Amino acid sequence: MKPVRVLWILTLVGFVIGLVGVFQRVIGGHTVAAYNTYVPWGLWVAAYAMMIGLSVGAYLVAALAYGFRVQALKPVAPIALFAALATLAGGLMAIWLDLGHPDRFWRLFLATNPTSIMGLMVWFYTLYGILLIALIVLTQRNSDAGIVRNLSLLGLPLVIIFGGAEGALFGVVSAQALWESGLTPILFLVEGALSGVALVLFLSVVLDKATEDAVRWLRGLALGLLAAAIVLEWAEISTALYAGIPAKTASLNLVLFGPFWWVFWFFHVGLGIVVPALLLLFLNRRTWALATAGGLLALTAIASKLNLVIPALVVPEFEGLRTAFTGTGLTFNYFPTLAEWLLLVWIVSLSALVFLAGVWWMGRASVQTPRLTKA
Amino acid sequence: MPQLKESVLDALKTEESRRAFLAKFASAVFAGLVAPAVAGEVAPVQAAAAEQSGLTDEFDATQLPEAVEGEHPIKRMMADLRRALQKPMEQRRWGMVIDLRKCTGCNGCNVACITENKLPPGVTYRPVMTETHGTYPNVARRFIPRPCMQCDNPPCTPVCPVNATWKRSDGIVVVDYDKCIGCRYCITACPYAARSFDSGYFYGDFEGGERQPYELLPSPEYGENRVRAEEGSPIGNVRKCHFCIHRIERGELPACTLSCMGRATYFGDLNDSKSLVSELIGQPNVMRLREEMGTEPKVFYLV
Repeated sequence: MKPVRVLWILTLVGFVIGLVGVFQRVIGGHTVAAYNTYVPWGLWVAAYAMMIGLSVGAYLVAALAYGFRVQALKPVAPIALFAALATLAGGLMAIWLDLGHPDRFWRLFLATNPTSIMGLMVWFYTLYGILLIALIVLTQRNSDAGIVRNLSLLGLPLVIIFGGAEGALFGVVSAQALWESGLTPILFLVEGALSGVALVLFLSVVLDKATEDAVRWLRGLALGLLAAAIVLEWAEISTALYAGIPAKTASLNLVLFGPFWWVFWFFHVGLGIVVPALLLLFLNRRTWALATAGGLLALTAIASKLNLVIPALVVPEFEGLRTAFTGTGLTFNYFPTLAEWLLLVWIVSLSALVFLAGVWWMGRASVQTPRLTKA
Repeated sequence: MPQLKESVLDALKTEESRRAFLAKFASAVFAGLVAPAVAGEVAPVQAAAAEQSGLTDEFDATQLPEAVEGEHPIKRMMADLRRALQKPMEQRRWGMVIDLRKCTGCNGCNVACITENKLPPGVTYRPVMTETHGTYPNVARRFIPRPCMQCDNPPCTPVCPVNATWKRSDGIVVVDYDKCIGCRYCITACPYAARSFDSGYFYGDFEGGERQPYELLPSPEYGENRVRAEEGSPIGNVRKCHFCIHRIERGELPACTLSCMGRATYFGDLNDSKSLVSELIGQPNVMRLREEMGTEPKVFYLV
């Protein structure tokens, strides 16, 4: 069976199973979720942050191909554009369903607070979404046109701004010691770029659209970004632990040694850094290894977002709050409910459906691209 | 006392005389309480009791919080309130003072707040935190009610993406339930965890699913008298303490202030130098929570 067919089946199965989560969310409102007064953000916010990051990275590949005319990346650029659009749609869907009043989303446009990064983001996303659709349409006609190049270059500062602003959305919150750092926006940008490039690597290999040159580029980009992400993360964690600011240390101790230590050590460090790094470095001639590395980097991107969002919030502002007035909705413990997981499955499946439908539409009109020589 | 002992024994001798015993016992207790006082013998009785328990009768008055001199604090705060309400709104600056030496941790303020504002499960405006210091035998507890600090420099308002929360000209930070989209960014931005998310729970959910009668009562918050119903605001909104502005604006003290049995909570206009709260915060034993955050809270604690 062709890999693309497997992807279709997985996506459709995920979509159907995930509908249970959608139903629960619609019927039960927010009572079906574990986030609450003290831990107001959870899995869906982490998924939003992850998917927006994927979009940033995927766009980077398209911008290199169309904007900077990196010919080696041109065969995978359409995939990158569709991946950028699909992950943007998924991320926005995750955050839309996370709203207490999704029906009031229009207020984000009509009553934007200019002092709120979240308020400004909605305009960045809108501009970016329009840009992506325009580029998809224009590249189908003539990918070498001047307007494609100009728009691609125009989009680059836009993704850098909103990719960083997404991190700044967390970084400016002085009340959350784990988030509040000048490095947070840069880390978001680099991690997002890494996961998006890796996603394009995975998809281009799986969809048999990659050339040797494209893979060489994507592998190089992924390795470079991975190295940068490791340095940034090391800088952030080591300085924070050395400085010993209590609230930040408490959150980091939870990340490293808390009940969910395995999210950091197994998913983030193990499957998200060590294994992909080894595969990219030492098995670079094997397509399955590259696809695995790309897939792992993209998938485990959620681990770092979970480890940012939740450990900050589960540390009480005052220790006495833990026992002050407790009960449903007033707890500092958080683990996503089944409904939250199911809804996430649906969102990811929806995103994948958008992507696969786009690739299918594109495939009907596109010319055959040279295939990667298998080792 | 020997007389009482004798009569008790006598009364217990027969089943029939139980009623008579209770009547006698109650009379004796009442007499024991009242008679010495009437006769001016309170002090000797106390001294005797202290002697028996091994305590001394030396009482260190400095260990007690200082008494508020003058008229009754409630009466004075009411007068402060009326005076403030005669001024234009922008000239008022509402503040609260909580005397931690007087707080008994009874949670009466919290319950009064929940009752006043008809708060559902998962929403709290004034939890009372308990702190334990030291180890036995040198151990102490203190109770810290935590309302919204109504910060002069609130970090929660600028992050709101849709201008649904702001600081009023009298310093109270409010939420417009019809504008709030429920993104909860403001909750993360509050260094005091003073904002709540109304997820949509009802107490009835835990009582067989039927709405309890008190859950169908309208909440007077912001003078809107909203009845909490499925999916409608304030469900899905962020909610917070607003110093009971619906009460303030009709000349009443906030529910927490009025209900405090230890008289540990004071409320008034910080811009009025003659108000009780202004007088109280002019003492050296005043502190505010997390001052290092630069939020300039308007809730002061006496320690």
